[in-house]
Amino acid sequence: MVSLRRLFALSSVAFLAVLAVSPVKNSMRPYRAIQKEYERIGMARATTLKAAQAYASNPIAIRQIWIPDFDNRVDRCTTCHLGVSDDAMTNAPEPFTRHPETVHTPKDFARFGCTSCHGGEGLATFEADAHGRTADAPSPVLPAAYTEAGCGRCHLGDFVSDAPVLSNGRALMEQSGCFACHAARGHEDFRSDAPPLDTIAVKTGGEWLRQWLSNPKGVDPNATMPNFRLSRQEIDELSNYLFSRPVTPELQRAVEAAAAEPPGNAANGKTLFAESRCITCHTVGGKGNGSAPELGTIASRATRGWLIAFLRDPHAFNPQTRMPRYGFSDTDVRDIVAWFEDDLRDFNAPKSILDPLRVNQTLAERGEKLFKTAGCFACHIKTTKETERFGPDLYGIGDRRAVSLDFGKRTDLPRTLEAWLDAKINQPRSFATGLKMPTFSFDPEQRRAIVTALLAMPAKPVPEALRVSTPRQASLVPAGTIGAIVARYRCLSCHQIGTEGGDISTAPLTFEGSKVNRDWLASYLQLPYSIRPILPERMPVLKIPAEDAAKLADAIETWYVDPSIPDDPFAGRPASDRDAAEGQRLYTTLGCRSCHIIGNNGGYYGPPLTDTKTRLKSGWVFRFLLNPQRWRADIRCPNYGLTDSDALRLTAYLETLSSHKETRR
Amino acid sequence: MKRLLVSALSIVLAAACHRAPRATRAAMSNRPSLYERQIGKQVFQTYCAGCHGDTGQGDGFNAFNLDPHPRDLSDPAFQKKTSDADLADAIRRGGAGVGLSSLMPPWGHTLDARQIDAVVLYIRTLKQDTGAAK
Repeated sequence: MVSLRRLFALSSVAFLAVLAVSPVKNSMRPYRAIQKEYERIGMARATTLKAAQAYASNPIAIRQIWIPDFDNRVDRCTTCHLGVSDDAMTNAPEPFTRHPETVHTPKDFARFGCTSCHGGEGLATFEADAHGRTADAPSPVLPAAYTEAGCGRCHLGDFVSDAPVLSNGRALMEQSGCFACHAARGHEDFRSDAPPLDTIAVKTGGEWLRQWLSNPKGVDPNATMPNFRLSRQEIDELSNYLFSRPVTPELQRAVEAAAAEPPGNAANGKTLFAESRCITCHTVGGKGNGSAPELGTIASRATRGWLIAFLRDPHAFNPQTRMPRYGFSDTDVRDIVAWFEDDLRDFNAPKSILDPLRVNQTLAERGEKLFKTAGCFACHIKTTKETERFGPDLYGIGDRRAVSLDFGKRTDLPRTLEAWLDAKINQPRSFATGLKMPTFSFDPEQRRAIVTALLAMPAKPVPEALRVSTPRQASLVPAGTIGAIVARYRCLSCHQIGTEGGDISTAPLTFEGSKVNRDWLASYLQLPYSIRPILPERMPVLKIPAEDAAKLADAIETWYVDPSIPDDPFAGRPASDRDAAEGQRLYTTLGCRSCHIIGNNGGYYGPPLTDTKTRLKSGWVFRFLLNPQRWRADIRCPNYGLTDSDALRLTAYLETLSSHKETRR
Repeated sequence: MKRLLVSALSIVLAAACHRAPRATRAAMSNRPSLYERQIGKQVFQTYCAGCHGDTGQGDGFNAFNLDPHPRDLSDPAFQKKTSDADLADAIRRGGAGVGLSSLMPPWGHTLDARQIDAVVLYIRTLKQDTGAAK
């Protein structure tokens, strides 16, 4: 009986001790000291007694943000990061610093928590666990350099405002053709821009091809083709294979016929070239947009016959090319190519640079194999099925655990995902022998951007309700005659219509019909002039025949209109001379002339306004003045916060501007 | 038991919290995060560099059309005498708003307060002696 009592007493003590372990352990947790420190700093910084009391009365406790709708997230980060939304904690020492103000903070802390953007282990309350500094941490905190990866997990569009690095990374990945080899969510139907190789044998010479294959960027700084670090032997094999490929008979005939044509007039070609504004996409000696090949040495790169035939119908050579089919006459093209041959050649190149390669069948067969094993086909022979992608997929790459990565020979690298990705992009083949990924020449900033874009690819997509992306609209370009004109002149290579199109032009065409006068447009299409003289990218003189220009102008006038833009902003009460005079005064006081020219007075950051009446519709001018950024988000013209009546007066003034004495036709 | 204790003590962070008046925010912060600098740089290059130049020296391509010339923002003397709040104010209200040239437009309706704060922080990095900082 006594022993039973003793046992009971002992076990009670033991039980008590066991129960005490948890509170004792808890009392020694580091966050308690951190919270006491916060109280001390807060009281020292407080400017009112009430504020100081508030710091003092905060209970010492674990704090958390619980978001049932977001994967049932529980973020306890604010247990230590107590000052994230406390203005008094600006510049306080970590972990108390106030969170910098962003689009989402401080207002959305309760909506997204912390780890959804920054990574880290939300439930943990020890620093090393929470920040994922332990080996095999599932989700380490994103380093500051890659912060914008957090934005990209919900914001799935190519351009994410307020995330310049992420947007740049996504654009770089798209341009560089990463998705031709690597499958990734959202890029399933990616197709490379690389040209088909069917006419190589009549386009260039063996020597040029050898130089190109050994270092594409060395030949053309605009090249998007990476360096495959091919050996001499491999280059020989590939060249032989490419020259052995049969040339499409019609194209071969076109090239041969062109080669036999009489020489052109180089002086005229030079003029034509300049007015055609080729550098809107190409460069010459590095000047120009650079999204298409450098033309400085074009005559040492392609044969005369090929150039002539190509310029006459680029789409026959490459149906996917962004190059428009200019309305050049046969003589025009001969003249342009004559000028290429006179001036745009590599004067240091060997004479034989364009001599065709005599094909050695054995080498060609080996080259054919190499074409497959090196992955050339991934860009040059288009595949659309993602199962056929040549490289490893990128699904969930942003959540790969560092321990699962093969660092191979790179013992020098920190064992983190971001270091691994950066090195993979910088020196892809340094990890092991036999790796196939080619080398892109990205600078450190570009690599940071790409790694940011990669880290934004989660293993598990965020809940549907949180995803932000602009859904692709159906094409607004109609089939038929208009579609054929738009395709021929490749309007969408530069302009946007709806969600389609390139971004070389600053003028989206979706609502062009509400913006410009039909007659002005019809004549502009035939003979465009530069609306923004500061930009190297200008509307090319495409030599569109009057008939096509009229059809296009009519179509734009009919379809591409914004119903919210009024036809007559003055609502039937025409502006008086006094309104116009008042508008002119506003033009001066607002400082419009710092960017716009009228006559010969003003800056040239924005378009000249001398011919506003001829060019622009008054409803559009009025609406634009009220909110320029509505037209395009990155428009530089400031929103002056004008009242409707001031905007009307300014419109009235601008509508008086015309260099023509009478309205044309 | 432990879980009970913890959850009983936990407090969900209140989202509604006191905020300082806007104009002083930029002035309070002298240690911009890398992200804030990135945003500031983006805004500066989009809206400011055309006249003030990529490095803020008042030598943008549109500068020589303007009389008076755009301010050299990298000038250490200018940086010293102008407070963050003054800079933000000039950006918001434009030259005419602060008694200077109306050729500098007001950006208060185009950029939000956060973007203006970010660009002020970025302008600070343009100070000449640290001119290379980007």
